[in-house]
Amino acid sequence: MNSDAAVKLTVTEIQRYCMHDGPGVRTVVFLKGCPLRCLWCHNPEAQDPSPQLLFYNKKCVGCGMCRKCERGVHSFDGGGHVIDRRKCTACGKCEALCPASALQISGKRMSVSDIVGLCLRDAAFYGDTGGVTLSGGEPLFQPGAVALLRELKKAGLDTVLETCGYVKPDMIKKAVPLTDTFLWDIKDTDGLRHEKYTGKPNGLIISNLRLADSYHAKIRLRFILINGVNTDIKHYKACAELYRSLSNADTPEIIPYHAYGGVKSTFLGLPDSERRDFIPTEEQIKEFKKYLFM
Amino acid sequence: MIFQSVNGTERPVRLCEQTRLFAAESLGHRYGLDTEKVMSVGIGSDAVFGLSDIEKYDLAIKTIAEQAPIRICEGEKLSGAATLGLGIRHLVPATCGGEPVFPSISHLTVDFESVLKLGTDGIRAKAEKAYQKYKNTNKEPFAKSCLNCLDAFETYRQRYLDALKNKPGYEANYKNLQNVPKKPAGNYYEAVQSIWFTFSFLRLCGNWPGIGRLDLLLKPYLEKDLSEGVLTLDQAREILAHFFIKGCEWIRGGDCGSGDAQHYQNIVISGVGENGADITNDVTYLILDIIEETGISDFPTTVRINKNSSEKLLRRAAEVIRFGGGVVAVYNEDLILKSLTSYGYDRNEAVKFANDGCWEVQIPGKTYFTYHPFDSLQILQKTTLDGYKRAFDSFESLYARYIKDLGDYLNGFLSDMCACFDGKDEDGNWIRKPVFPCTVIALFEQGCIEKGLSYLELGPVYNVISPHIGGLADTVDFLYAVKKLVFDDKKVTFEELLKILSDNWEGYEPLRQYALNKYDYYGNDNDEVDGICARLLSDFADICAGLDGKCGYNFPGGVSTFGRQLEWSPHRLACAHGRRAHEVLAANASPTPGTDKTGATAIIRSYCKNDLAKLPTGAALDIKLLPSSVKGEDGIGAIVSLIRGFVMLGGFFMQPDVVDVSVLRDAQKNPENYQNLSVRVSGWNARFVTLNKEWQDMVIGQNEFGCGC
Repeated sequence: MNSDAAVKLTVTEIQRYCMHDGPGVRTVVFLKGCPLRCLWCHNPEAQDPSPQLLFYNKKCVGCGMCRKCERGVHSFDGGGHVIDRRKCTACGKCEALCPASALQISGKRMSVSDIVGLCLRDAAFYGDTGGVTLSGGEPLFQPGAVALLRELKKAGLDTVLETCGYVKPDMIKKAVPLTDTFLWDIKDTDGLRHEKYTGKPNGLIISNLRLADSYHAKIRLRFILINGVNTDIKHYKACAELYRSLSNADTPEIIPYHAYGGVKSTFLGLPDSERRDFIPTEEQIKEFKKYLFM
Repeated sequence: MIFQSVNGTERPVRLCEQTRLFAAESLGHRYGLDTEKVMSVGIGSDAVFGLSDIEKYDLAIKTIAEQAPIRICEGEKLSGAATLGLGIRHLVPATCGGEPVFPSISHLTVDFESVLKLGTDGIRAKAEKAYQKYKNTNKEPFAKSCLNCLDAFETYRQRYLDALKNKPGYEANYKNLQNVPKKPAGNYYEAVQSIWFTFSFLRLCGNWPGIGRLDLLLKPYLEKDLSEGVLTLDQAREILAHFFIKGCEWIRGGDCGSGDAQHYQNIVISGVGENGADITNDVTYLILDIIEETGISDFPTTVRINKNSSEKLLRRAAEVIRFGGGVVAVYNEDLILKSLTSYGYDRNEAVKFANDGCWEVQIPGKTYFTYHPFDSLQILQKTTLDGYKRAFDSFESLYARYIKDLGDYLNGFLSDMCACFDGKDEDGNWIRKPVFPCTVIALFEQGCIEKGLSYLELGPVYNVISPHIGGLADTVDFLYAVKKLVFDDKKVTFEELLKILSDNWEGYEPLRQYALNKYDYYGNDNDEVDGICARLLSDFADICAGLDGKCGYNFPGGVSTFGRQLEWSPHRLACAHGRRAHEVLAANASPTPGTDKTGATAIIRSYCKNDLAKLPTGAALDIKLLPSSVKGEDGIGAIVSLIRGFVMLGGFFMQPDVVDVSVLRDAQKNPENYQNLSVRVSGWNARFVTLNKEWQDMVIGQNEFGCGC
């Protein structure tokens, strides 16, 4: 096995037959770890780079098998299943014990060769346009992502990288020649707001975008639209400008906030992060489109 | 006027308003209700006294032809109608002393090609010749019956001519019917009328034949008319639309058990012809246009796809599939041709394949076909495991015993079939013991007239009874769960597991959960369990091959349930893969509901790991897609990719359906809003609201875990 194939990555999920994550039918590899902490995150389990325990309350049958955990993470207090996450090291023992799969570790260590093998299983369905999409989290947060991209290309697969852009410029340089299309998320063009809602400023994101563009990377911008956060005309105009300034831009997409991710926070033991008020109105989407495609 | 679709998208409009209204009326049960008004004709108990069965049959057909109500719908472009209600119930609609006299025939596609090329005059010439040949032999009654039934068909045509003569607005119908089906069809319009009139007469007599390769049948006529400039494509579409609309004349509405549209009138389109050239033509696309616009699901249509099929064809098919209803399915022509030729069909015969009106592959107009369905899970539970009293010390010993029991069962069935024969005649041909008469069908099946033998008595060129293994995924999952729980992971001993299953998992919920959740069953692209499935199907096919040559039938295997899982569930015990007793489980070659966690492509891959070429009549895979996953341009691409992958990986038959469970639930609650919403059941479609509650629940259950992301 070459050194790339042996590289290990932390994967939250691999989803097959996906239609909305780049061109054609795709397998999406979700890699764990993200530098941002967006308030509207729809994959909260992919933020922390290390493995984490997920608990699906509805699946729990209350059998108590998980109490075999030596660290005493699991207890049953008055019938309810209580989890002490401070004691948990995500060792995975309770996952193996839980018959109902109510306890699952998010973040499996997988070798690049295993991931590529899984992606190749659907090769017959990719046709001329489909392939593999790396998503997350931020896929480039794990340096091993480059090895994965290299092996995917070696296997003859089309690659899409779904990035937030907040990574070391060096990673962008390495990724560009291995990536057929970038899906580049733009959360906000206002730097202060960006920092307020994601935890980081947007300067690096924009400079990385320029960097990738200077290498003629094919980029599809994906504008995240959050009601009450970035639903102002100044932002729309700035987005349109950004789009037009790229040398090899694909038609951009508007991604309106959706609330599906909220409930996932509860599996991590956090309060439901659903924000219905973030859902943009049809008018806002329409107006944004107007500026974008004017 | 709205023709309903699952995805809520508006259907395109190409047909004229009058045709669309006719379609809406027909879909709204108008003609189905009309058909129920007269259930049958009476042949009187005195008249039949002393008649032989075949004479009685001829009298029944004659009386039907003379007395069945004539129906001429307003503005119809095609004449002929199956107007007797008992036909919808699969009986010859003639009664003697109030009781139906004969059952009828289904699961075949008749020889419409001869009707078009020879006309019934040509068929009569063959029948006259046969009558001369068989006069004063024991085949004389059948040869005479052929002539009698042709007379009856002619009577029926004459009655329509009388009714249409001088009827304003029906000049074209009258003119066409003057020529066809009596004479060979001279143009496209006549050809469509000829097929329709023959089909409607066969149905009038209670039979449910399939249509076969309609685009191939009509191709030369349309090409000629277009090149001569006497017809436009739009006119051709209108004419063909009336064929489809009239084909829903048996929609009765209301609660009809397994639905109202299961009369096995399948159409097969595209694919290669005798010289290996692609036969796809304008008719292929007209058929897709009509289904797309009206949503008429009464002619489930299967597209023959091969590795070289055009992108245009696949896209059109995908666009129609997207509307839901499951009307359009897919055959992998490459694999089927390989399967048929390796089974022994000549290549020139194999390329003609269509189906029996459902999805089982056969050579149309030349094949006697029936199938023998059985529940493989019951053999495992009741015979191999002896109702959970017999344990095994290894997986291999369990499997070996199961294959032996499967073989014993099928050989038992073979013995029953052998008992239908009186040995062979001096020429070495098997002699079939007499079965009920069905001459009307025999007229349109090659071999019958010539051999002087009826359709059910080895008249056709090929005579096939296909053993169909049902409950496949359940058996495979069961075996795999035993392998894992008992032998690999040692969670429980065999004896303990049998006890637990006897108690229907009572008191063992954690273990049941473990069995349900911890293993990836058939349909998840897990090589280990898929390997068991491939091995089982291969062994089953070998058992079937061993049945051939022992009597007058051949026994190519297939996989199906056709909704029988509903009948089987009351007899099924709890399963090792975590299912409780009496649960309704897997359909056809599809995964057990709820076990397919990896999506549509994984299901197809699991299915395609089977050597499906060893199953010449087929194995149906149902694929359920969510409307959201097939929306937009990406959605069309997604369906096209699915079909291409299915062909590339060696699938046989796939029924993709776009289903939204919430829509089905709403339809269950408010049937009045969903009168023509159709769903694929298996091989046939049904308007959802015409399924009874039990069937509706089964369809919902099987879609609940619909894949796609």
